[in-house]
Amino acid sequence: MKVSFPYMGTPIGYKKIAALLGHEVIDPPKPTQRTIDLGVKYSPEFACFPMKVLLGSYIEAIELGADTLISSGGHGPCRAGFYGEVQSKILRSMGYDVDLIIFDSIKRDFLGFYRKVKKIKGKHSWRDVWYTLKFSYHTIKILDFLEQQIETVRAYEVHKGQSTKVWEMIEKKIDGAYSDAELDRVKKEAQEMIDEIKLVQVPEEQKIRIGIVGEIYVVMESSVNMRVEERLGELGCEVRRSQYLSEWVDFNLIPARFSPSREPEILRKGEKYIEIIIGGHAKQNMGAIVDYKEQGFDGIVHLMPFGCLPELISQSIMPKVSEDLDIPVLTLSLDEQTGRANSLTRLEAFVDLIRTRKNGKCIIQVS
Amino acid sequence: MKIGVPRALLYYYYFPLWQKLLLCLGHEVVVSPETNKEIVDLGVKKSVPEICVPIKIFNGHVENLLKKNVDYLFVPRMVSVEKGCTFCPKFLGLPDMVRSTFPELEGKLISPKIEMNSEIIAEPHCYQELKDVLNLSDKELRKALKVAKKHWLKFRSISKKGYLISEALDLVDQKTVPPFENQGDITIGLIGYVYDIYDEFVSMNVAKRMRGLGVNVVTFEMLEERIIDREVKQMSKVLFWTFSNKIFGAGMHFYRNKRVDGIIHITAFGCGPDSLLGKMLELDSEKFNKPFMTVRVDEHTGETHLQTRIEAFIDMLRKKKKKG
Ligand code: SF4
Ligand code: SF4
Repeated sequence: MKVSFPYMGTPIGYKKIAALLGHEVIDPPKPTQRTIDLGVKYSPEFACFPMKVLLGSYIEAIELGADTLISSGGHGPCRAGFYGEVQSKILRSMGYDVDLIIFDSIKRDFLGFYRKVKKIKGKHSWRDVWYTLKFSYHTIKILDFLEQQIETVRAYEVHKGQSTKVWEMIEKKIDGAYSDAELDRVKKEAQEMIDEIKLVQVPEEQKIRIGIVGEIYVVMESSVNMRVEERLGELGCEVRRSQYLSEWVDFNLIPARFSPSREPEILRKGEKYIEIIIGGHAKQNMGAIVDYKEQGFDGIVHLMPFGCLPELISQSIMPKVSEDLDIPVLTLSLDEQTGRANSLTRLEAFVDLIRTRKNGKCIIQVS
Repeated sequence: MKIGVPRALLYYYYFPLWQKLLLCLGHEVVVSPETNKEIVDLGVKKSVPEICVPIKIFNGHVENLLKKNVDYLFVPRMVSVEKGCTFCPKFLGLPDMVRSTFPELEGKLISPKIEMNSEIIAEPHCYQELKDVLNLSDKELRKALKVAKKHWLKFRSISKKGYLISEALDLVDQKTVPPFENQGDITIGLIGYVYDIYDEFVSMNVAKRMRGLGVNVVTFEMLEERIIDREVKQMSKVLFWTFSNKIFGAGMHFYRNKRVDGIIHITAFGCGPDSLLGKMLELDSEKFNKPFMTVRVDEHTGETHLQTRIEAFIDMLRKKKKKG
């Protein structure tokens, strides 16, 4: 099989699984304007933005020769089921013959999950599969661990852009590591590289911390969110996201008893604003905001794809959350024509506002 | 107590049940008027810009009822009415949205959580919140639900005779309902959510208009549930959300049914699920050699535009039929 997968944050995890199981891996192209345009052209008009970009990514991967596409879905009522079905149908109507395999939470559909793994497994033993999965999990854990450090130091780097460059190098190194020993070695190197980044000293009380919440795809995939983490870093803010790939795995693929996932706790914290899980990550986002507030964060950037059903509910509730918790929230709606300049100006104004607020001068709500 | 029920969303499917329930419990039921321009404008003001038109209209109805000084507002949280499938996320989060959009509703909202594996949503566990707020005994609730259930089943049976929901809502209070007779020369499958097709503002009475042009109109709620289920089950997975599935299943059935000459899909602006299921049905139109048309309505759609498109579609169907 010639396997490819769309970008949703780094695809390194998938890549390892596919390569170790002996498939030919087609390196997926990072989404560009062309990807988005392709997706928009062939998707139904009111399909949500991630679905359009994913379709564009599939088309580009097929153009590169992929015959099997692997992806993971969201969970809860707003799920990958209909994505996959409609996308397959559209791809077929365009004359492409591909297999679309979408992994959903193992807890929802164990049998389906098993069948899909079996399809990818080929002739390998289950022991190999187990090792592969473990190795890939280990890889993304390391990636997430390192990325969070980058998200902090980027705010204080002396040489603008250095952290981002270091991060790109780290990604490449980890991409090339195919054994536990190698991975450990690379991890040490990466740590050294991060430690070497020169930082400006900023007094604790002037540090600004921003939590990014929203729909999983636009939160994780920087090419469709105007690289909002980097932008915030450049503006001198530390950033954390409400989603990291390894956390998705922790919650969705690992049995609760063994899982280090904080998601159940986050969900409880969201209850006050959204009572039940309504799909996507709407309720988690509410919980994440409460959690960020408790951790002393200064502001929230809420990323929402155009046409996203659950996030539209979040957006409707956001003013109240912001007021209740006394934390500024900026909602950015992302689509194929997101006015970048306009959104960037809003982002800058938002950070300014937080900075002023921090200095105790004024209190305004933004939404 | 005066309990307000917005004439929006699933009002068009479950009102007979909820009305009977509240009446039997001895309360006054206040319904907002038919959607009009003023209500739409109010709703638009109260909603985030990107949200679908039906939700905007819903917000307008809530605002309208607030002005009527109701004691409570009845906004159920529709979670599920069949096994393994839920409503569109916006229904799931509706009470949360209402609560933060209208802070003045604090303490006035009754939102029982409807979670069932059947459409007949008359089980006491669904109305726990109603019971708490109105301080009901088990027995009272059970008794009222029994009456409500019977009333709703009658409403459903009227739909299945071939009457439109707008007619069934009136007929359900009559003793006897005559059989419905179709008299048109062609038959169109009209698919869309009840809150689009029967909202006079959204659909501009499209169903009645079509009948006026000598067309027999069939809709999903006129079909037996098992017919729709059968179509939906043929898909490799259950695809969408409950009512989207119903529409999709009805659409497939209309494609296969020889008596149906063409399909019209009414959709309101901004509905993601409709966009997907519309696309899937459209892709099948050629395979079944049956015309399919989408009519998308927003806050500004004009009546003449709608009328022209429908007339053209009907003409085309008639010509096609003559040719054989
Ligand atoms: S959560 Fe939003 S973006 Fe994700 S599938 Fe649902 S509607 Fe689309
Ligand atoms: S199904 Fe469509 S129209 Fe209905 S609430 Fe959901 S998005 Fe809106």
